[in-house]
Amino acid sequence: MVAHPRDQGDSRAARRLNEPRPARVEAPENVPTSVGGVVVSSVREEWRVFDRWWTSEPVRRRYFDVVLETGENLAVFYDLERRAWFRQKA
Amino acid sequence: MIACLTIPAFSLRAALKDRPDLRRKPAALAAAPGEQPLVGPCTRAAEQAGIRPGMRLSEALATCPDLHLVEQDPAGVEAEWERILRRLEDAGLAVEPAEPGCAYFETRGIERLAGGVKAAVQRALDAVGAPWEPRVGVAERRFAALAAASVAPAGRALVVDDEETELFLAPLPLHLLPLGQERREELSELGVKRLGELARLPKSAVADRLGAEGADAWRLVQGEGDARVAPRKPSAEIGESLEFPEPVANEITLARALSALVDRLLAREERGGRAPRRLAVSAKLVGGGSWRRAVTLREATAEPERLRQALAPKLSELPAPAVELRLELGELTESVGTQAELVRPRGSRLRSRLREGLRQVRAAVGIDAVCTVVEVAPWSRIPETRAILVPRDD
Repeated sequence: MVAHPRDQGDSRAARRLNEPRPARVEAPENVPTSVGGVVVSSVREEWRVFDRWWTSEPVRRRYFDVVLETGENLAVFYDLERRAWFRQKA
Repeated sequence: MIACLTIPAFSLRAALKDRPDLRRKPAALAAAPGEQPLVGPCTRAAEQAGIRPGMRLSEALATCPDLHLVEQDPAGVEAEWERILRRLEDAGLAVEPAEPGCAYFETRGIERLAGGVKAAVQRALDAVGAPWEPRVGVAERRFAALAAASVAPAGRALVVDDEETELFLAPLPLHLLPLGQERREELSELGVKRLGELARLPKSAVADRLGAEGADAWRLVQGEGDARVAPRKPSAEIGESLEFPEPVANEITLARALSALVDRLLAREERGGRAPRRLAVSAKLVGGGSWRRAVTLREATAEPERLRQALAPKLSELPAPAVELRLELGELTESVGTQAELVRPRGSRLRSRLREGLRQVRAAVGIDAVCTVVEVAPWSRIPETRAILVPRDD
């Protein structure tokens, strides 16, 4: 018997773009000094994101826009909920 | 003979399919957003607690403070009803769906195969399944079959002989007739509360007092109703769903998601070049419940832009953020030909080359290899919630 088209598994989930990835960050005074073993030459900007505090999954992050010694510009954040560092295109 | 199969409170039963714990508790279907706060069909426990369908919500909650209100799930109802219809069709019955929870079929076609009217009807009851508590009424006329189904016990059939139809209908209540509430109340005030009492009145008097609606009702109780069944044609439908990583209420995002679904459906191989005439967009809502809107086009078309234009205004009626959007294309028909273009639009060659390239990428890497970026909440302060990747097929 041929399956009815409506029975076919046709639901494909969308994926999130720009998911945070775990990062190895050294931050002796809560400010990154190295990311992935590469020294941070400057911290361009710092900001905080507190959101969704009304849900069971609140977001509490401290972002840093840093420039590495190699010239690479990236954003890292400290997740105050999970107590871990992540990198992300901010 | 004509058989009428009914499943009482079908919309509630379908909404409670995944919540069996509530079936034994006092529960009722809540009104749809924006509608009058009246209670819909209710469970047996709710009926025992004094709840009646059509009751005001405040009155119902005062009567039964433990009453569970179940959100309407039109998409779930439609899907369940379609499954039941297909089971009936698989059992060899050519069914005419009247509304979710009510369908007609001719027994003549399978009487010989099944071994009689009762065996044919039993086949229908078995196809639906005992948990739905279906009941069947059989008579020579549609209205009498419906009336018989309304008094048949759960999981059983009631056959009414043609000669006994008038006698059978006489003691039944007026609410079986397709009359408005006002008309029923008018008749009730005149002391007419049973079908037999209406049947005894002169036709001209009923028509004079109640107009054409009353005259039609009078014909039905005389057993003069329609004796034909128009079985539905086998449906040709295709559907696609898109799950959102988080609830979406933004119309622009929903329109983009809808656009992606249109592209994916039009690219489906089983469409085989056919164009849809009926479109249905539905959504699973955050916190349970669902929403559904259907559109019938004046002429079948497979032009993505026209499909989008037909559906996009419906998205503004979404009552709550959606966690999943679904699009179904129905009544797929062969193209009858449209005016051909004299000059091919600019870029069409490039687009066809691009399409071929993407097809090869998908063949090499997998069907989800090619995606479209859909902005969900570009203003969000959380970067990963700003956009999503949606697989595309075209």
